[in-house]
Formats: sequence, C-alpha cells, structure tokens
Amino acid sequence: MSVDQEKLIAELVEKGLAGDMDEINAIEDRVLRGKVKAALAKAKRAAKAAAVAAPKEDVPAEEISSEAPVSDHPNQKFGKLIEDKFPGSIASDLNDTHIQLNRDQWFDIATWLKGDPSLHFDSLQCHTGMDIGDNQLEARYNLHSMKHDHAIEIRIAVSRDDAKIPSIETIWRIGDWFERETYDMFGIHFEGHRDPRRMLLPEDWEGYPLRKDYQVQETYHGIVVPKVKEGWE
Amino acid sequence: MGVIHGEEMVLNIGPQHPSTHGVLRLKVKTDGEIISEVTPVIGYLHRCFEKHCENVTYDQVIPYTDRCDYLAAMANNFGYVVAVEDLMELKVPEKVEYIRVIMAEFQRIASHLLALGVYGLDIGAFTPFLFMLRDRERILDMFEMTCGARLLYNYMWVGGVSHDLPKGFVETAYQFLDYFEPQIEEYNNLLTYNKIFVERTADIGVLPPDVAISYGVSGPNLRASGVKWDLRRNEPYSIYDKFEFDVPIGEGGQGTLGDCWDRYYVRMLEVKESVKILRQALAQLPKDGDVHQALPKKIRPPKGSIYSRTETPRGDLGFYIESDGSPTPSRLKMRSPAFTALAVFGELSAGWMMSDVISILGSLDIVLGEIDR
Repeated sequence: MSVDQEKLIAELVEKGLAGDMDEINAIEDRVLRGKVKAALAKAKRAAKAAAVAAPKEDVPAEEISSEAPVSDHPNQKFGKLIEDKFPGSIASDLNDTHIQLNRDQWFDIATWLKGDPSLHFDSLQCHTGMDIGDNQLEARYNLHSMKHDHAIEIRIAVSRDDAKIPSIETIWRIGDWFERETYDMFGIHFEGHRDPRRMLLPEDWEGYPLRKDYQVQETYHGIVVPKVKEGWE
Repeated sequence: MGVIHGEEMVLNIGPQHPSTHGVLRLKVKTDGEIISEVTPVIGYLHRCFEKHCENVTYDQVIPYTDRCDYLAAMANNFGYVVAVEDLMELKVPEKVEYIRVIMAEFQRIASHLLALGVYGLDIGAFTPFLFMLRDRERILDMFEMTCGARLLYNYMWVGGVSHDLPKGFVETAYQFLDYFEPQIEEYNNLLTYNKIFVERTADIGVLPPDVAISYGVSGPNLRASGVKWDLRRNEPYSIYDKFEFDVPIGEGGQGTLGDCWDRYYVRMLEVKESVKILRQALAQLPKDGDVHQALPKKIRPPKGSIYSRTETPRGDLGFYIESDGSPTPSRLKMRSPAFTALAVFGELSAGWMMSDVISILGSLDIVLGEIDR
C-alpha cells in the first residue's frame, strides 16, 4: 500500500469518527472502501475501550485490514444476537453468506426475527429448497427488513429420511405458497402448515422433481411423460 | 336484523377464461352474489423452468427467462444478467448499462400499457385498450429494430447485449417520447376519470400495507398501498442511481388507499416516470464503445450463491443462484413478483361481489407464465 493511500485512509477514518460517512460511502474502489471501513470499525472499538492500551490509530493500516474485514458483516451481528437469545440454535460457524440454523427452534426464532423492533424482518423475500447431496436437503430463507433495510439468509439442513421443518406460514403469509412450492419440488414437509398441498404439480404426481436424483415417472394417467435429455448443452 | 345465509355454491372460473389473464383456475365459493372464498389453482403453465436451468449453461438460461414473463421479457433478461454478473463480480461497459436501462424502461411502458388497457377491457371499456395497444406497438417496433424480435428478445447477455443500438434508434426513441407524452392525458380522459370505471374500481379490494408486505407483494401493487419502495431507488442496481425520477405511491385519489383504482393509477404515474428516465438516459448515452465484455465461451461463475433482485414492471424479481463452479447453475430459483401478487388475491377478494373479483384480479396485473414458470 502506498503512503498516499495510508494518508487518505487515516484522513477518512478521522472524518468517519466525526460522523461524516458520505465521503467514505462515495469511494468507488471496493477494496479501498473496505479498508477504510475496517479501519474505522477498529478505531471506534479502540475508542470504546477507553484507551486501555496504546492508541490504536498508530497501528499501520496493513495490519488492521488483514484482520478486520469480516467483523462488520451484518451476519456476525445477527448470528450473535440469535445465539444469545436461543442458545444452541446455530448449527455451524458464522460466515459472510448465511446463518446455518438447527430446525428445532426455527419457529420461535422466526417469530422473534419478525417481531423484535430492532430487527423487524417484515418481509420473506425468497424461500427455496436445495439438494445438497449426502442425503441432505436444505431450506433457505432470504429475509429482508423494509424498515431497517438489512437482509440475512437463513439455511436449515435436514436429512432426507426425516425431512421436516417447522412451518413459518403464519409469520410471513407468503410462506404459505412458498412452502407449498418447496414441498412440491423437494419433498420437505413443513410441520404446522395448514394447507400442505402441492403447488404447481398435480396432487398425484410421483417424486420431487428438483431433487438431483429425480427420475421422471414413465406415464401419468396413461400419458407418456417426455424425459429430460441428459447433458443438454 | 339477522343475516340470511343461502346455500353455498362452488363456481369454477377458468382455466380457460379471458378475464383470468392466462391459464388460471379460480375455485370460487359464493353465497349468492357475495364471494366467501377464492382458491387460485395454478400450475397449468408449469414448464419446469428451474429444472431446465440445471441442465443448460448460464447463457442458455436467458431465452427461458423471456418466456417466464412474456409481457416484460427485457426486464426478465435484465434481472437474470444482473444476478449472474453480481455473482461473477463483473462490471459491464457503461454503454451497455445505458442500453439496458433504456430497454428496461421502454419495456416498463409497454407492459404497463398492456396492463392498463387490459384492465379497462376487463371492466368493459374497449376503446382505451385499442389506444394503448396502438402505442405499445411502436415500442415493439423499436425492439424489433434493435434485436429483430417483438416479444421474446434474448437481448441482454451476460457481460453485454446481443446487438448495438441500430442507426437512427435514438431519433426514433425521441420521436416516440414526444408523441407519447401527450397521449397519457388522453388515456386519463378516456379511462382514468371515467365515471363507470371509477365506480367499478374505487374502494374495491383494499390492500393494507402490512398485509401487502407480509405477502411479499411488491412493485406497483405495494406502492399503491402507500409504501414508498422501489428497488431502483432503494437498492439501485445497474446505473439507476444516476437518474432523477419520483417514486409514485397510491394516495387514495378516488377512494381508499390501496384500492383497485390506486393500483391502476400508480401504473399510469409510473409510465410518466419511465419517460423521465428515458429522456435522461437517451441524452447521456455514450456514442462509442463496445457492447460486449470479453468473456470465455463458457461462463463459470465462482462457487457460491447469490440472491439478487431487480424492479420489473410487476415488482421485485429475484434470482437465487447457487453455483458450484461449473458452466451450469447448480440451482436457480426465480422469485416471481406475480406469484406473490396472486397469493394475496384470495384474501383480497373474500367478501366482495362476483364482478369485483374480476376487477381485483385485473388490478394485480399477473402474468401466469411467470407464476407457473
């Protein structure tokens, strides 16, 4: 990193500490912006620690950026909040793409995610299933808050032999149709769903088409079902 | 005074019926003229879009997206390529961004014109429909001029667009806009403030904002309920942050906030905003530049997943793409705005009269190709 850039970062961090974020947000270069934000987060934390150790601002910028990048991702914050409120519900380490949950407390967590005023995830943007191999299916939920404009992705993995997940149909009403579609395509059963029918396929269709090992049935009511050709390119 | 309940009757509307805007079946429980329950039955147009996507390369998905929302194919192309480019962290040339925005906004006008015209037709007003289709035709002519197709374009590709704008396109576009702007006033005189039309739509099928959000309703339907939410403004993608435009919301102009008339009128206002955006985009359009990004023949986005959404004429179109690093998507889910709009329909129409149900369904502006995929 050049000396100029270091200077620029230090300048912007100072401005950010004074509450002026416009200039930082206007930086075109993603990497630089990330570095500035990381440095800013670090500086803020240092200020909060009430100058216990030597002033952190003097630490060279390289050192800061090398360890800070994940810390300000919203997933870390939301993940910790969930873990505090519902101990044992997080299934794997936090990362930047999603939060992996166990299914047991999902209904309570979902209720809380929507109801808590500081989170207020009022909109279930997208819900879908996924065949992740190893006899495992996964349900994925993309939540978004219109009020706070933040978003998370929740994933819940279940085994095929016991593919049951609590339904959140009563929390977000669109969950009704979304879950029916996921059941239709993946065969994940949503416990507590008031109308668990298929969505797009006929009720007497065999199998769950979006599973990776799906085989099309040969006939349906005497009509020959065309097969999907292998390896279309 | 007690209420007299007659015997309930189950009535089927569709799957083949002009007022259902496609192949949709409505199971309607009626008590006399009053509707007590509506159950939409969908799936008649299911073409296994998501399963097909797992068998074709990323480029080959684009023509399929055309066929999902066939009234706004450009917007669907746009949503898909934005998602894939986000996944690849690819930046496209500025000229391409401008062309895409121009096409998407023309498509928005065309789609809204059809929605408004057909809505009039549902209510029984035939003339506005012909006027609006006449003007929509000129937009389709411009699309034909650009990429040869009138309905299903396959125009936006990952990293670019299939053809550069042809000679004379910008002039034609300006001519159209100059002609079109005064037309909006004519539509208003013909249909918007028509007494019969207002009687049939105002105060009917009121959608409260919290119910709309809970059902994931988006786009003009959500804005008509008074929620100022437009992805072009709130989460700008492409170059929408460069343009000045308003986000029109419903105000209960002829009755209650969030009624059918509001949903109709928000679309009319949006058409005006699209004209604004188009004028700016055409003025700023770079003259030179390539319309293709240099890309390998087979696109292989890095491992990972993305949920990306864009604002189509019908609302938030989301693409959830999971990539395993191979040239074909491992999973592709399309979150369709019309799907969520139809999901709320059952709740909206309970308690209304038979003729109002047609009015409510028309005001939601659904496209069955996108719902069934």
